[in-house]
Amino acid sequence: MTSSKTTPLIETIGLNKSYVNDEVETPVLHDINLSISSGEFVAIMGPSGSGKSTLMHILGFLDVPTSGHYNFKGASTEEKSEDELARIRSASVSFVFQSFNLLPRTSVFDNVMLPLLYNSATRVSERKDRVMKAIESVGLTDRATYLSNQLSGGQQQRVAIARALVTTPEIIFADEPTGNLDSTSGTHVMEILQNLHRSGHTIILVTHEQMTAEHAERIIRLHDGHVISDDRAFTRRIAKRGGQIK
Amino acid sequence: MILSDTARSAFEGLTRNTTRSLLTTLGIVIGVGSVVLMVSLGATFQRFILDQVSTFSGNTFEIQSKGLEEYGKDPMTLTEADAEAIAKLSTVKNVVAVIFVAKKVTYGTEELSPMILGASKDIFTNWSMKLELGRLLTDGDLKGGKSVAVLGNKTAEDLFGNANPLGKRISVGERKFTVVGVLKALGGAMGTQMDTPIYVPFTVAKTMTNKGLFVDYISLQTTGNTDLTGEDIKSLLRQRHKIDNPNDDPDKDDFIARSFSQAMDILETVTLSITLFLGLIAGISLLVGGIGIMNIMLVSVTERTKEIGLRKAVGAKRRDILLQFLLEAVTLTLFGGLIGIVGGGYLGFILTRIAARFIGDLSFALTPGSILLSLGMAVGTGLIFGLYPALRASKLHPIEALRFE
Repeated sequence: MTSSKTTPLIETIGLNKSYVNDEVETPVLHDINLSISSGEFVAIMGPSGSGKSTLMHILGFLDVPTSGHYNFKGASTEEKSEDELARIRSASVSFVFQSFNLLPRTSVFDNVMLPLLYNSATRVSERKDRVMKAIESVGLTDRATYLSNQLSGGQQQRVAIARALVTTPEIIFADEPTGNLDSTSGTHVMEILQNLHRSGHTIILVTHEQMTAEHAERIIRLHDGHVISDDRAFTRRIAKRGGQIK
Repeated sequence: MILSDTARSAFEGLTRNTTRSLLTTLGIVIGVGSVVLMVSLGATFQRFILDQVSTFSGNTFEIQSKGLEEYGKDPMTLTEADAEAIAKLSTVKNVVAVIFVAKKVTYGTEELSPMILGASKDIFTNWSMKLELGRLLTDGDLKGGKSVAVLGNKTAEDLFGNANPLGKRISVGERKFTVVGVLKALGGAMGTQMDTPIYVPFTVAKTMTNKGLFVDYISLQTTGNTDLTGEDIKSLLRQRHKIDNPNDDPDKDDFIARSFSQAMDILETVTLSITLFLGLIAGISLLVGGIGIMNIMLVSVTERTKEIGLRKAVGAKRRDILLQFLLEAVTLTLFGGLIGIVGGGYLGFILTRIAARFIGDLSFALTPGSILLSLGMAVGTGLIFGLYPALRASKLHPIEALRFE
């Protein structure tokens, strides 16, 4: 948290987003000013409809802001074409979704391989090693040849995390990653994310659950499209009280 | 994304629903199969016809009254005098006037209705008919008005079986003829036409019909340039028939004059258009197959909206998605096309073998060109009918696609 002098990984200045439906404009995000540094574990929290998913989509280059600025690694990202955004996604970000989104009837190995197919920076000869390493890091080496639908929900989400890791992205976005899991599997998934954070990954978690958000070291709360709090001291406060993060 | 990966993704996309992929392919199998079948049968038929006709020498020339081919026209416009006038041209030889006689031919209990031609000996030269037994018609037969007949091979066989026909007496209508010769069989499909006629002296045939000085047909050979001679013959006949036709409009003539090489060109054009027409009809089933492909690809794009969203989220560009779905469609049609070519070709081969039993000497024609054409059509069908679904897939917005339920 002492990286204020270096260029932040993510910086938004006066970012707005609204959707137009039947000529009615619905504002979703208002004047978002954020700065996230490399290596942070940030939770974006808020009730449904607060705009947290939209914010994640914009930060993850799946969507573009209506106005305002979004600088990524110090460079402006406005006016990028759809293919340029795809290139940034391929090289720099990855996603873990609530509903896993694995390819059905496809092996764990091939699911994890998927991002590498679109990643021109990875040599074909390197692929297998990287896929196996990613699968190993989520503890599913013995399941590599299983089809995705032969796995439990928790295992599927771990495959999704392996898929997110395989391109060694700069940021991993996790959108309600425990939302479809029982508490044991959910805890396991959160532990994996925390381990990834400890080994230096930048993780942005989107959730509406306080318990899940508490795994992060910084919590940004959204309400009706506004940032209502940005609490970096949360983990320290818990630590002071001698609490433990579950 | 490199092409081999795209191909692999496309293949995996298809194998995830094997039954559906196979059923969709069936439309293409049938489409390409029928194109191959029709085109190969057409080509077989064409080659067969042309092989048969090519036994005639190219400088043989024929003239007939238009009424023989076109209903409603006067069937008798050519005369013996026309033939004599033509014979005076310097670039012709073997001019033969021919009269058709419509009578029944009987021998014992056998009764036939072959074509009976009153002609002279040159007709055999012009039509490349060779003698098997006995002798041909002679000038003496014509001058003496002798009741002799030369039989086509098949008619001789039908009337006499294995017995020697030479010297036998056959009845043509009321009149008795002595068989003096039998022609060699030409065989094949043309054989059914060329091996049945009975040839009798022109002078005798004339007395058996009431055609007066008219004749049905004039056959000759050109000794110089066939086209130029043809022009000479036409202008001579127009002059004799008082037809004003300076622009060579065939509609104004009351006769048809053409060389066998011209006839062959016409035949070639006709058989080729039959082939193309059959191919076109078969192409309609390929079109139907293509629409099936488009339909199933659209269903597939909708079903796999989430997958498309995911692929985009992990970095797929529009082009990657477009190519994947296009390749899926092309893989389906190419696979179907290959099966269709083998199936259609095999069926054509079998049908040719069966047909060969009835009309003899028929060799199956499936050219590399038509195989390539069919493959091209299959791939083209995939590209054309796969393009719209693939475009739709590639244009999906990643978030909307991911949220799709």
